[in-house]
Amino acid sequence: MLSHDVVIVGSGLAGLRAALEVVGHLDVAVITKVYPSRSHSGAAQGGVAAAMANVDGDSTNAHIYDTVKGADFIGDQDAIEIMCNDAPHVIVDMERLGCPFSRTSENKIAQRAFGGHSFKRSCYSADRTGHALLHTLFEQSMKKGGKLQFYNEFYLLRLIVEENICRGVVAMDMKTGKPEVFHAKSVMFGTGGYGRAYKISSNAYANTGDGISAAYRAGVPLQDMEFVQFHPTGLYQHGLLLSEAARGEGGYILNGNNERFMANYAPSKLELAPRDIVSRSEQTEIMAGRGAGPKKDYVLLDLRHLGKEKILERLPQIYQIAKDFIGVDALDNPVPIQPTAHYSMGGIPADNDCQVVANERGDLVKGFFAAGECSCISVHGANRLGTNSLLEALVFGTRAGKKMREVTLDAKWAPVNESREISAARREIDEVLHNKGTENLAAIREELQTTMTDKVGVYRGKDDMEAAHEKIRELQDRFRNVKVDNKKGVFNTNLTEALELGHMLEYSELIVAGAQTREESRGAHARNDFPDRDDGNWMKHTMAFRTGEGGYELKYRPVRVTRFQPEERKY
Amino acid sequence: MALQYAFFTGCVAKGAGRELLTSTNLVCKKLGIELFEMEDAACCGAGVGGEDNVMVSDTVNARTFALAEERGMDIMNICVTCQGVHKKAQARLAKEPGYMARVNDVLKSETGREYKGQAKVRHFAKILIEDYGLDKLKALVVKPLGELKAAAFYGCYSVRPHEYSDLKNPDDPDEMERILEAIGAKTVNYPGRLKCCGFPIIMMNKQNSLTLSGSVIRSAKESGADCLVTQCPLCHLNMDAYQPEIDETLRMPVVHIQQLIGLALGYTAEQMGMNTHIISASGALASI
Amino acid sequence: MSEITFRIYRFEAGKDASPRYDEYKLALEEGDTLLKCLNTIRGAQDGTLAYRMSCGSAICGSCAMRANGHALLACKTQAAGLVKNGVIQLDPLGNFPVIRDLVVDLEPFWSSLRKVSPWLQPNLADEPARERLQTPAQFQLIDDVTTCILCASCWSDCNVLEVDKKFLGPATLAKAHRFIFDTRDAKGRERMEKITEPNGLWDCTHCGECSTRCPTETKPLARIEETREAVMMAGITNSPGARHALGFRESMRWFGALNENYLPVRSVGFFNIPGLLGIMPVGLRMMLKRKAPPMFPHWIDKVGEVKRIFKRFHELRKNVGGAGTKTDGDD
Repeated sequence: MLSHDVVIVGSGLAGLRAALEVVGHLDVAVITKVYPSRSHSGAAQGGVAAAMANVDGDSTNAHIYDTVKGADFIGDQDAIEIMCNDAPHVIVDMERLGCPFSRTSENKIAQRAFGGHSFKRSCYSADRTGHALLHTLFEQSMKKGGKLQFYNEFYLLRLIVEENICRGVVAMDMKTGKPEVFHAKSVMFGTGGYGRAYKISSNAYANTGDGISAAYRAGVPLQDMEFVQFHPTGLYQHGLLLSEAARGEGGYILNGNNERFMANYAPSKLELAPRDIVSRSEQTEIMAGRGAGPKKDYVLLDLRHLGKEKILERLPQIYQIAKDFIGVDALDNPVPIQPTAHYSMGGIPADNDCQVVANERGDLVKGFFAAGECSCISVHGANRLGTNSLLEALVFGTRAGKKMREVTLDAKWAPVNESREISAARREIDEVLHNKGTENLAAIREELQTTMTDKVGVYRGKDDMEAAHEKIRELQDRFRNVKVDNKKGVFNTNLTEALELGHMLEYSELIVAGAQTREESRGAHARNDFPDRDDGNWMKHTMAFRTGEGGYELKYRPVRVTRFQPEERKY
Repeated sequence: MALQYAFFTGCVAKGAGRELLTSTNLVCKKLGIELFEMEDAACCGAGVGGEDNVMVSDTVNARTFALAEERGMDIMNICVTCQGVHKKAQARLAKEPGYMARVNDVLKSETGREYKGQAKVRHFAKILIEDYGLDKLKALVVKPLGELKAAAFYGCYSVRPHEYSDLKNPDDPDEMERILEAIGAKTVNYPGRLKCCGFPIIMMNKQNSLTLSGSVIRSAKESGADCLVTQCPLCHLNMDAYQPEIDETLRMPVVHIQQLIGLALGYTAEQMGMNTHIISASGALASI
Repeated sequence: MSEITFRIYRFEAGKDASPRYDEYKLALEEGDTLLKCLNTIRGAQDGTLAYRMSCGSAICGSCAMRANGHALLACKTQAAGLVKNGVIQLDPLGNFPVIRDLVVDLEPFWSSLRKVSPWLQPNLADEPARERLQTPAQFQLIDDVTTCILCASCWSDCNVLEVDKKFLGPATLAKAHRFIFDTRDAKGRERMEKITEPNGLWDCTHCGECSTRCPTETKPLARIEETREAVMMAGITNSPGARHALGFRESMRWFGALNENYLPVRSVGFFNIPGLLGIMPVGLRMMLKRKAPPMFPHWIDKVGEVKRIFKRFHELRKNVGGAGTKTDGDD
């Protein structure tokens, strides 16, 4: 059995930032199913929000209000205040650690416009901000040498929680296939989102939401799972992200008739309205037959008027992606786009210090922390503003680290029964390895993802969701006989893919169930049959609890409102 | 009108590899390609001369291009290192007009010359294929190379980085093979074909350098080649002159592509300077 | 579109004695990336096939592998462009031990990276209250190199690593450049001294594989060239590579051409007796074949023009401390 004071699962921005806060004070280890530099934080492109006021008269208050409004008033306002207040500090901190930032003519960190933000607030490093931040933290973690232990390519199998006390995790070394128990006083998850449940998705293949689901299986509730953000500029058919920076820098979105249709939906902000609104507008245009292309099933991102120099200097990655993946030269032609599943607002509920919440009353799971996309604190409510995700990961990663330092120093070791945990993990593995083997893994995954994109996507209808729920039940059933060709051996990706699919099938049902139950439209959750927001009945967070094998129960938790009462959301 | 080129010989063809200069001159004479040797052009720097200051070597090379422009001709190189360095310098100058202007400022004030961006730089092999034509070459062959199994060795600067390469498909080129086949030789495909000969580090890390050239030679030998054929005198130096130090038993002749063309056009081995190689090519040539 | 064959390297460490190739047939559709093809093969034909992937958008570097012998990212490469006689051959990255199929053990790569202290070491004494300032031009100096995604494609195809695993390697040298050229870093000189030790900066042969395979703007060879320039400008010249470059420059300056008698001696060092003895055999061999360079060096015509160019730059450098195009922010 391995043991560390603190075990962090996930090596993205939240996990690494937390680890750096703890290292030197406690014995800390980071477990990742990839390598730190390959975490999905690196894919974030456009920037990280902070009211630095480097280019205009921005203020923290404006940032707070924009975020509360962007969240469609279901974000927890005390948490949002913390995030926006800390923002300039974490940016300066990252700059000091070596993050390369683009600069203004006054040599300060450059800032640009982003959807839903009323000032130029996004600090950036060309259009690879997440990559720059992630590599900076990876560099800093290398600086710690042996004091910061990494377990790279370890796949999380179980979270160990007993008597409401977290005691560690079980993870499999992919290089050997051997499950190991990691005994810990504190465990933190920074395991990322669940966007891979969708067919058209900007998420990494790795973003299968294992952490979220492992917590759920260990008895932790999941919050607001129905809120999934669809990014308006996904590359057609691939779902790959074309950064919002494209619009921040002045790009247009056109329909099949070459009209800048956003004028009809958000007359003042146009393309720079928040993501939920732009995605819905795109979908409305497509459904009304005004899409582009032979099937009229996409719209267009037009950068041509920005000119060659601006495109190549400020948006080089977007230019390259369009060129490599679908052969479109954005200098000469508009790029085909469609809404793509992008960000999970829901996740593991946690308090403002990232301590995981055990129930609707707000009791805590002792020794268990969550930060970043896997958590639901909730700073994004029903819709996240662009550039607030990197910020959240940095701010709450830091806070989680600080809190762990504080509570772990004096904490006692809660015992773990190693052999029982290993055999439980082995049993879970055996269930996918040794069954009738009649069902194709890739086919189940494909059916799940297609169902989610088609029926629980930008717009959600009652009948569609019922069909989706039924389909997921069927797929869960078929999964019991999933075929895994590779029964043993090193680097068994066949096995990990099957385990990931098991997770996806489990929480996807909660996305649908939350969406079916929430009879209103709010932020990214848009119901055909309930087109309006209903603050009287639904100003509350959904909490899904696991009730034995396959069952779930939904409960609700109030939203924390400090300064801003709900108002009509217009842009 | 005959093809005419400003002929940039490179330093090695004037020094340790004089047989390259002789054979090129004779071959071009027979083909009717007129060469005007640039006696006044300076060394390209081989990517080393500019190692402490790229702008100096770019300026010296811009002078070379200006000299060719004054003659109204394109430049012919016979060394892929010179070719690659010239190409890179031209790319840097073309990319940034401001940089080009600064280089020209120095050039004008110190030499009274100006590089206008017109002179093209091309390697002998490219000229042979594109300007002259392999059919015409074939028609002049009097002594086809018959049974000779030749292993073409391209040299790094001719293939990489791709953006500076003149080859149609630099990851799988066939230009040298097409020339060799036009003069009647057989060609062999072998893993070392596009690898590095190791020459640039012969002074810094001889062991690595010779391990690199050794593995190219072995790979050619294992593929049944009678000789290695180079289009760069530096590759030639590292694989021929150092070969006894790599492995006495290899005995793999290394020849310049111009030498084989010359033989096919009817020149004698002596006229082509074959006797100057460290590893004798007479055994391989006996198969012709 | 047409059916093609994927010929894929198969091997499991600890189980297989030697690798084999398995063949899979697949009908290519227009726009299919290589990674999509692999996913189709693994999903429908053979679940045991192992390869890494994550982001799918060319930013994480996981899916680096070799196609037809050259390293690339499977996610951003169109499969159709790789088909050769109806076949695409896939191999794991080169220069690494193989764990399974297309999955290699990257440990040599990470441990090399750690050798150059790859983190910012600023001057803590003058830390401002807010962010440190940097001009846009100074950011530009590290703009390209910080696009590196650590995919190890450059490592895979590096010719020097093939023969010497001690070589620092292209990505590591690029990482060193990233800090040497960062105006916020205070340890430039130490970094330069460190990488100019044996098996470092001067061991690169310019083979160009790294920059050719690099899927980002990092282009390690270009960064190596810039770093050599910076190292020379900093006067860190006590290595065979630096002496070689200086000798080359002197030869160019005085003769307009390379003096092959002078240069080897200069590179090895005038007082390095064992080194000088080491270059004697090749000289003797060449002399016997009448191949040795002429005893009297060759001067080009109008060599005065070249001398004047060198002199001009020498003065420029004295005045502004740097005449290079890419080192404007480095003084």
